[in-house]
Amino acid sequence: MMDKAKGNERKRTFMLITIPILVLFFAFNTLPLIKGFIYSFTNFKGYGSYEWVGLRNYIDLFQDARVGRSYLFTFKFAIVSTIIVNVVSLILALGLNSKIRAKSALRGIYFIPNVLGGLVVGYIFSFIFTYILPAVGQALGIEALSGSMLASTKTAWFAIVIVAAWQSIAMNTIIYISGLQTVPEDVYEAGSIDGATGWTKFKSLTFPLIIPFFTINMVLCMKNFLMAFDQIMALTKGGPAQSTESISYLIYRNGMDGGQFGFQSANAVLFFVVIVAISVFQLSFMNKKEEQL
Amino acid sequence: MMKKKSQGVGGTNWPITILLIIGCVTIFFPLYMAVIIAFKQPSEMTNDIAGALAFPSKWSFSNFAEAMEVTDFWNSLGNSLLITILTVVIAILLHSLAGYAIGRNMGHSKFYKFSYLYIVSGMFVPFAILMMPLVKQTSQMGIGNRAGVIILYVVFYMPMNLLLYSGYLKNIPLALEEAAKVDGASTWKTYWSIIFPIMKPMHATVAVLTALGTWNDVMTPLVIMSGTGKNTLPLAQLNFQTQFGTNYNLAFASYLLALIPILIFYLVCQKQILNGVVNGAVK
Amino acid sequence: MKKQALFAVGAGAVLVGAGAVLTGCGDSSTSNGKIQIEMVQYKPEAVKAFEQMEEKFNATHDDIELTIESPNEAMTILKTRFIKEDQPDIIGIGGDINYSNFLDSEMLMDISDFDGLADVKQSYMDILENLEFVPTEGTYAVPYVANAAGILYNKDMFEENGWQIPTTWDEFLTLLDTIQESGQQPLYFGFKDTWTCLAPWNAMACDLAPADVCKQVNRGETTFSEEYREVAEKILQLLPYAQPDPTAYSYNDACTAFARGESAMYCIGSYAVPQILSVNPDMNIDSFVFPANDEAEGQILNSGVDLLFSVMEDCENKEAAYEVLRFMMEDENIQIYLDDQNAIPCKEGEFDLPDQLEGMTEYIEEGKMADYQDHSYPSEMAVDAMIQTYIMDGDTDGFLEKFDTEWKRYNRDLIRKVQAYEEEHGEGGDES
Repeated sequence: MMDKAKGNERKRTFMLITIPILVLFFAFNTLPLIKGFIYSFTNFKGYGSYEWVGLRNYIDLFQDARVGRSYLFTFKFAIVSTIIVNVVSLILALGLNSKIRAKSALRGIYFIPNVLGGLVVGYIFSFIFTYILPAVGQALGIEALSGSMLASTKTAWFAIVIVAAWQSIAMNTIIYISGLQTVPEDVYEAGSIDGATGWTKFKSLTFPLIIPFFTINMVLCMKNFLMAFDQIMALTKGGPAQSTESISYLIYRNGMDGGQFGFQSANAVLFFVVIVAISVFQLSFMNKKEEQL
Repeated sequence: MMKKKSQGVGGTNWPITILLIIGCVTIFFPLYMAVIIAFKQPSEMTNDIAGALAFPSKWSFSNFAEAMEVTDFWNSLGNSLLITILTVVIAILLHSLAGYAIGRNMGHSKFYKFSYLYIVSGMFVPFAILMMPLVKQTSQMGIGNRAGVIILYVVFYMPMNLLLYSGYLKNIPLALEEAAKVDGASTWKTYWSIIFPIMKPMHATVAVLTALGTWNDVMTPLVIMSGTGKNTLPLAQLNFQTQFGTNYNLAFASYLLALIPILIFYLVCQKQILNGVVNGAVK
Repeated sequence: MKKQALFAVGAGAVLVGAGAVLTGCGDSSTSNGKIQIEMVQYKPEAVKAFEQMEEKFNATHDDIELTIESPNEAMTILKTRFIKEDQPDIIGIGGDINYSNFLDSEMLMDISDFDGLADVKQSYMDILENLEFVPTEGTYAVPYVANAAGILYNKDMFEENGWQIPTTWDEFLTLLDTIQESGQQPLYFGFKDTWTCLAPWNAMACDLAPADVCKQVNRGETTFSEEYREVAEKILQLLPYAQPDPTAYSYNDACTAFARGESAMYCIGSYAVPQILSVNPDMNIDSFVFPANDEAEGQILNSGVDLLFSVMEDCENKEAAYEVLRFMMEDENIQIYLDDQNAIPCKEGEFDLPDQLEGMTEYIEEGKMADYQDHSYPSEMAVDAMIQTYIMDGDTDGFLEKFDTEWKRYNRDLIRKVQAYEEEHGEGGDES
């Protein structure tokens, strides 16, 4: 009897906690999402009157070259950044996890970029790309560097990769370090008896053990980079020649500033579906990999 | 700077230490540029490389004083602090409860399992799609202001924090609660007296991740607080850029001003922050 | 148990409650018995002039309290406030596509009965009229100040070298060659900020394309490929005379470079003068009309309404709003603005025009001007970025073709509206 009453009390408490939270989440996440979805069937400018246009916005999405380019750019940017960030931070993590002096100071330093705001970092790098790098390039006589990286459609996207990587490497390194610390010392000892050194040791011993961390990093990186906004706002504003317009940036620019709210809502819906699809794919793919090992 | 003794067998790996120290240049160079430009006068700006990298002729804080004035620094700082601190406090109280209620039940109840997936999937909703409806909604509810921004942050960070808390709870044995239950304490009371304190490491993680995200965010305050005449620090930078862009020195002084509070905070709480981040990743 | 219930009920309320503390300033209702008039104007660079006017107004009016806001990113903020249905009483915006859109959305009040309109130069009223998508009864804005675009030049450099002001396209090209041969830089562009690409574009389009080209296209009478070809070709011809990599530098960079004498000329509008003078206060700047046409008589000054005031439809105190407008239109208050911003007044009368616009005065007085053509381009079409792309790849045919196809897509609802209007009102009803 007593137990049952207790059980009910417990259940009720959990309900009383969960329901307001669900309501809150629904009100400020799901409800606006539904509203955005509804707007995607209109030609709403964001103010004034609007009409229903059916699926026109969605059909247009697939015919709009600018939207298409923004998807291409966003994916190119996200994939390249994810690879670079993961490679560099893995190397950095290995270094920071080895027997070095001033370990915690170094770790602390390498994490600094992560605490700084993307917008301000973007402004600082923008100055470096426009004035400092070309000056260095000219002084050294390197043709490729003598112009501003941000001015050419060929290089501007990579400048954004550099800034985005500079900021995200910090976080990923820390995650890898914590992964490496879970690798027990005796694994290495066993390995060195077998004669495993350097790359082989890493590939066959260390890496398999930190795969879960690799998964987290890949998924987090991909998702964050797909949603890139601050760096683009600060560095290129989508230029030159619309070559660095990320999806988020385009949705903001034309949805809020331009009068395309309805159309960009459709774009956002599509974008949402794409992000969910990719994340689910990544997670299930990685899970399979993890199981195999 | 504290030094840790190298552990285990063998001595320090000097080549790697040196490489890593050299690598720090990539971190410090942009910051160094920001500092020297912030102290220079417009007339000292040159396009040749030596001049650009050189120290300013005198270290004067006049740029900073002016930048503080135009960006209304103290008010912006106050707003940023207020928003971040309240968001973090509410997030810890509310999200830990959510993590508790949902995490404890998702194993055996479809309803809680659904709630969990429902909220966590919110992680993938791009802000862009919510932006415009939220602007309208918050304004209709009379919270198109700092309060609205805080509520939105609490909701935006709910998916991640729920994930963290419920994950952490898996490691906390039910037996702890059972003991309290036998003593006749209510679930509510048990939570605050036993579970909440135990989750302290996770609170630190949630606080760090939520704080970093909200402190640096531009978009939410930009669209929600427009027309209230209130700025946050990053927002003040955005405005600054459009208004006084010609004067790089003034601009950089204001950028530094925006970076300094979080840098100080980081330097002071470095250990907790790094641990917090690690905690979040491992879960 | 009580605690739980409290929590359950109050979970949301805690948040909102925290809000109540923060909200502080709610609506600024008539707390002190005065009628509150709120104005939002979109030129943050003019904040000082407006602060001065606001103070002056409030000192001289006991019954009305005027608040003027000059936010950055003002158009975004205005649009966000429209979404919030939290509209100011008066807005000060530019005579561009936003004005057309707000008007079309029936957000602006008809102010035909405002007495101050009589003093406004007819040419500027016409420019505003032209911004209406379909002819509309009534008047919805008071043009306040205009700007003009063309070429700003470094007067000292011109005098030292004995260069002459060109009046035709050929003379202009010769001048560019002469300057370049003398080892100096003729032009400087800040094309990294895409909107600056529109400065030479608009200035040349005035001379080379009909003023109502967009309307003609909407009516299906012509194409951009036809009307803009010459403009497109000529803009490319300018590039060899500018700094290498013009898309690497921003508007601010270009203003700074011109201010430091790094180029002899700068193709931009009068609105850039305060910016340039902030870098080099002693600079001697003058201007001339962009000579894109082959005939000297064919040149037309590119001038548009830089700032206009509209009363919002929802404004409750029309008389008070009119009083504010009347105050703004007083000669001495206009002069405050002119002195601060180097602008051209839209009101008839004797004003001290900025020296920097001397070369354009003749055109202004004769009313030989045409509006910026981009004021009719929908902003989401991003013509500025299209021009930037074109400047980088130089593909004239592709650019013009794209202009036509994109135009149709972005203006589809509008074109339908215009055609419906045409059908209803018959031909020739557009010349009002």
